[in-house]
Amino acid sequence: MAEERRGSWFGFGFCGFGQALGSGRGRQVHSPEPLETPGPGADVCRVSASWSYTAIVTRGGQVQLSGAAGGAAGGCRDAWASEALLVVLRAGPAVGSRPELQAWAPGSALRGEPLWTHTLVSEAEREDAAGGEPQARALPLLPGARAYVSPRPPFYRPLAPELRARRLELGGEHALLLDEAGQVFSWGQGRHGQLGHGTLEAAPEPRLLEALQGLPMAEVAAGGWHSVCVSETGDIYVWGWNESGQLALPTRSLAEDGKTISREAGWPSEGDSDVRTVGSEDGAPAPFIAIQPFPALLDLPWGAEAAQASCGSRHTAVVTKTCT
Amino acid sequence: MAEDNREPLAGAGALREALWALLPPTKEELVPELGEKVELGMARLLQEATELFCGGRRSECLQASEAILDYSWEKLNTGPWRDVHKDWRRVYAFGCLLKAVCLCDEPGNAPAVAEALKVCDMGLLMGAAIHGDILIKVAAILQAHLPSGKRPGPARQQPGTKKARNDGVPVPDVASERPVPRLRCPSLQHFRKQFLAPGRPVILEGVVDQWPCMTKWSLEYIQEVAGCRTVPVEVGSRYTDEEWSQTLMTVNEFISKYIRDESRDVGYLAQHQLFDQIPELKRDISIPDYCCLGDGEEDEITINAWFGPRGTVSPLHQDPQQNFLVQVIGRKYIRLYSPQESEALYPHETHLLHNTSQVDVENPDLERFPRFAEAPFLSCVLSPGEVLFIPVQYWHYVRALDLSFSVSFWWS
Repeated sequence: MAEERRGSWFGFGFCGFGQALGSGRGRQVHSPEPLETPGPGADVCRVSASWSYTAIVTRGGQVQLSGAAGGAAGGCRDAWASEALLVVLRAGPAVGSRPELQAWAPGSALRGEPLWTHTLVSEAEREDAAGGEPQARALPLLPGARAYVSPRPPFYRPLAPELRARRLELGGEHALLLDEAGQVFSWGQGRHGQLGHGTLEAAPEPRLLEALQGLPMAEVAAGGWHSVCVSETGDIYVWGWNESGQLALPTRSLAEDGKTISREAGWPSEGDSDVRTVGSEDGAPAPFIAIQPFPALLDLPWGAEAAQASCGSRHTAVVTKTCT
Repeated sequence: MAEDNREPLAGAGALREALWALLPPTKEELVPELGEKVELGMARLLQEATELFCGGRRSECLQASEAILDYSWEKLNTGPWRDVHKDWRRVYAFGCLLKAVCLCDEPGNAPAVAEALKVCDMGLLMGAAIHGDILIKVAAILQAHLPSGKRPGPARQQPGTKKARNDGVPVPDVASERPVPRLRCPSLQHFRKQFLAPGRPVILEGVVDQWPCMTKWSLEYIQEVAGCRTVPVEVGSRYTDEEWSQTLMTVNEFISKYIRDESRDVGYLAQHQLFDQIPELKRDISIPDYCCLGDGEEDEITINAWFGPRGTVSPLHQDPQQNFLVQVIGRKYIRLYSPQESEALYPHETHLLHNTSQVDVENPDLERFPRFAEAPFLSCVLSPGEVLFIPVQYWHYVRALDLSFSVSFWWS
């Protein structure tokens, strides 16, 4: 994964595919290292990391792939990488022509023909796409917020205009939407509590997170089976699967691995959680939370306020306002 | 196949040789053949991991196999299990294979062999067969090479030391209930005409008398044959409870925690295809002849093990196939309701539990479920050597009256 930090990009994590991250040494990069692709001094404005490759977009409109998939192309305003599909938003070929959404097989190296394309036709879409960079509305949400892109068919999915989507994030089996008013909607599969409505039922259409009503959110992020959002006042809410501790709540797997569970990550302050009591070594019961079906408020250490959150498949990262 | 080898780790070199003898000889043959579902990144990682393996770069191969397991595990957890593509399960199994063999590559490392066996079992439980069911063969070899301290042996405790759990519910008064009819070795035609076709339950006697399990199986034997194998266990009184969960543990751990010890929790090794995992146990059972009356193939029959202490409960539910429930050890109290009574059984409305009744059969809440009291049923105490035929969709409730081992056959 990669995080933005005042104009410079750093990365860390699993690089078994040779994804460009600083030194490129070894398979695992444990501390953030500066991103040196596409080259020193390149003005990177968007990084989208999939598991085996990363797509890097510069302000100059260049998209470059690094890792198991390679290749580069120009005329690009935004990119979104997944294992199955690479989606890029390209400016139209001629001046004044319509921007185009393209989906490529990652192995194609952006040569030949894309798997499919979609021309942005509506005024709203084009104005949004033509506006200043970096994109306020990032893929997978399309400019104009009338639709979004999915790695599974149907690839182009309309959104009701009433939703007034500001941000959209895709998890493994669900989607989160943040609207102009700071409300959060979720839909998709709910088996791991990732929708946040308090049940394990799926939701076919966007459904408002009622538990967060009255709390305007500034950011949303979706992991494989969990969800995170950050409020305008810097609070973090988490819900969904916690089997790897991705919600910072006590989890059996980490306890058995002997890792200490941070006590500063507070307890869920609301909501009905799936709690199992398991005896620990000294016989005292230690509740583990496997699934959190309602949003839970997290306390950050030292009362820090969150600025942004990002999710991997089974982990969560938060950037605080004091930039830690 | 597996020698009863009592020499402690002197056989470490022999272990390595035996494992490598199982593997395909060339790198090209070792890499699993997979379709397009497995994307570019993983395809590349599989090639790389295989090269590392064949090149003897053990610790790097271990790292790569962890990454293979990590990613494919996520695929296995995406969507309902039945929709998980078999190729991802093959990838997972392949990751387990590489990891297990790499773990054993260090001569003389005993805990590594036990861990490798656990990894094999994960591959068997969650993965799909690769290279001619190689994981079963690897598991058998590992089991034979476990140092004597860890090898499952006859249990030292007497069976009598298991504490009886007082669950407060007495043995039901079956005599006052309508009994399931019993027949001794009916002919195929008679069974088909009187029970299979009309969908009527019956207890068959004398049908499994010659099965080796009837004389061989005991706690000690099961521990000897399967003690260190990892199996799924259900913890909690019944699967409709909020506190119910599933976990993995070895058979030894299951027996010591939930069968021998007094445990507040009920643990049940339930609905597990143990006989696919441990072929030695499969040799102790057979397939009831009457299954040939169905339309399906013999290899499509699902055989499940049900092994647990006194007091395990399967809530009233129905299954989409015909069922022969063979009782091997202990007795079970079983109640049967016809599918025609379904409305009086108040099935759950959620999709997940729509085949399960909301009613607690032996302690029904008649205010919430008034019609249940009038629903007619058949009941029995199923004893060792008896086989209960449960017709497709017939509602059934099961409670173990003793330490119990049953084998069920789902067929069509």
